[in-house]
Amino acid sequence: MTTGASEPLLAGHNVSKYFGGLAALSNVDFAVYPGEVMGLIGPNGSGKTTLFDCLSRVQNIDRGQITFKGEDITRKKPFQVAHMGLSRTFQVIRVYRKLTVLENMLLSRQWGGLGIIKLFHSYPKKIEDRARDLIHFLLLDAVIEEQAGRLSGGQQRLLELGMALMPDPDLILLDEATSGVNPTLIETIKERIVELNQNYNKTFLLIEHNIQFIGDLCNRVFVLNYGEMLAEGTPDHIMNNEAVIEAYFGMGGDDDELGN
Amino acid sequence: MTRFLSTWRKYHLGRYLLLLLILYLLALPLVQIMAPDRKLVTNSLLFSFTQLFMLITLASNWNLTGGFTGYVDFGHAVFFGLGAYGTGIMMSKAGWSFVPALVGGAVVAIIFALFIGSATLRLKGPYFSIAMLGTFVAMREIVRVMKPLTGGGTGLTLPPYLNRPLFYYVTLAQVILVVIFISWLVKRTEFGKSLIAIREDEVGAEMRGINTTLHKITIFAIAAFSSGLVGGLWAYQNTFIDPDIVFLQSRTVDMVMMTMLGGLGIVAGPVVGGAVLYWLRDVIWANFLHFHLIVQGIVLIMIVLFLPEGILGTLADRTGGTTIGRLWGRYLTPPKETKVEEAEVSS
Repeated sequence: MTTGASEPLLAGHNVSKYFGGLAALSNVDFAVYPGEVMGLIGPNGSGKTTLFDCLSRVQNIDRGQITFKGEDITRKKPFQVAHMGLSRTFQVIRVYRKLTVLENMLLSRQWGGLGIIKLFHSYPKKIEDRARDLIHFLLLDAVIEEQAGRLSGGQQRLLELGMALMPDPDLILLDEATSGVNPTLIETIKERIVELNQNYNKTFLLIEHNIQFIGDLCNRVFVLNYGEMLAEGTPDHIMNNEAVIEAYFGMGGDDDELGN
Repeated sequence: MTRFLSTWRKYHLGRYLLLLLILYLLALPLVQIMAPDRKLVTNSLLFSFTQLFMLITLASNWNLTGGFTGYVDFGHAVFFGLGAYGTGIMMSKAGWSFVPALVGGAVVAIIFALFIGSATLRLKGPYFSIAMLGTFVAMREIVRVMKPLTGGGTGLTLPPYLNRPLFYYVTLAQVILVVIFISWLVKRTEFGKSLIAIREDEVGAEMRGINTTLHKITIFAIAAFSSGLVGGLWAYQNTFIDPDIVFLQSRTVDMVMMTMLGGLGIVAGPVVGGAVLYWLRDVIWANFLHFHLIVQGIVLIMIVLFLPEGILGTLADRTGGTTIGRLWGRYLTPPKETKVEEAEVSS
């Protein structure tokens, strides 16, 4: 968990995104270094998910540049970025509801071949073993043949995490991985992230409203507010930053505003 | 009823029934060849089967895009039409023989599919459906206007061939086998699973590394090629084509209905749906000659209301969804009540 020394895995320079006149992101600069667990917080509507969408190339940015592994991905397609080793999960759960848990996992392996070649082969044993291992790792063994749409919300979150891990990515973007998940399962997710980070050297960037979760996991946090970078630093530093407290918790140092 | 179904299940009677059906279909042409004078197998019987095979093939192709990939195509008959006209023009104007002209017609269809697909497959949901409907109507008018090539509204006459139903029966039986094999292949391979992923969540699939555009265009082109082939065969069988009989709107409607009736995204869906619909039409037509279309419409509304996932889809979904599916599931699966009780006790 060193920062600064190496080259950033993912970096954005002056990333800007507008929806009509609304600046969803304006001139956001950030860098994620290999081996980090980095947090991204901010009040609702501050542009966190938009930033994720821009990073995974579902949305185009209007200005700026995004690099991943030193390569400019500003004009790449989502599946190309995925093949480079960037996975993500979603705020609104996206699993293939009609397919089984195992099929969901297999489909996320991100094999870059032509469609026509894929027509003539089914999944290699190695891939299926990997999927089963991951399902076991995420405690989903009992529902492996179940349709994904029938799982509970928390299990679907775990499945999404599994799908993001399936292609063995270098960087994983987690968008509110704990929302709607019960506390025990949150602990499970937390343990898994720590294990993946420490034993498998995976880098994480997570959006989270659960401050406890951020505090436990992240070594660095940055804060977005109205599409602008508000602060950056260690969790402790951020929690004590006045501007962040005002933006996030809606209370500032002085309460005069109400009086006037 | 329960006893009947359990016996059915125990001895795999369904399999034998299927085997019998296949044997019957195989026997038809053989009997025709060996005893042509006895009128055991009439030409009209073979012709009916040919029509059914054709419809099932088209529905199967439609199922590739509409059922597996979730792109509901209201203009798929355009590829049938292009195949028919491609074959027709190559035979009557260029003087090609049947087989190269047939392949040529299908190639025309595939080229057009690649061209139009790369534009329309960017659209989602109803926009795609309507764009394809527009393509279909536009193509009919284009064919009507291009008089020197297509003969316009007066149509084209293909050089007649010994119009023997036996030939078409055998050819179409081969085509239908290939088409069903393609569906089966698509369903069980990674490619097909990716298509289903696109149907379920296209954005998610793209972000998980599936090249959705390539997948969609590939399957679209495969379906177009196959429909073009059927179109060419149909043109040769009919020996006369004009825009109105080739670009028939009801052909697309038939494909959609058959697939929906059998089960969307199920390999055997179009086969079952096609057979049932064909038979149903015959019965309705024979009994309610003057208002058979009304009766057919009512029957279809009933089917959509009570079998929304189609016949096979409803039967396959034994745990949730529909009442019929649950009842069927209860008959087919041995009762599990004792097992549940044990589990409760142990926990």
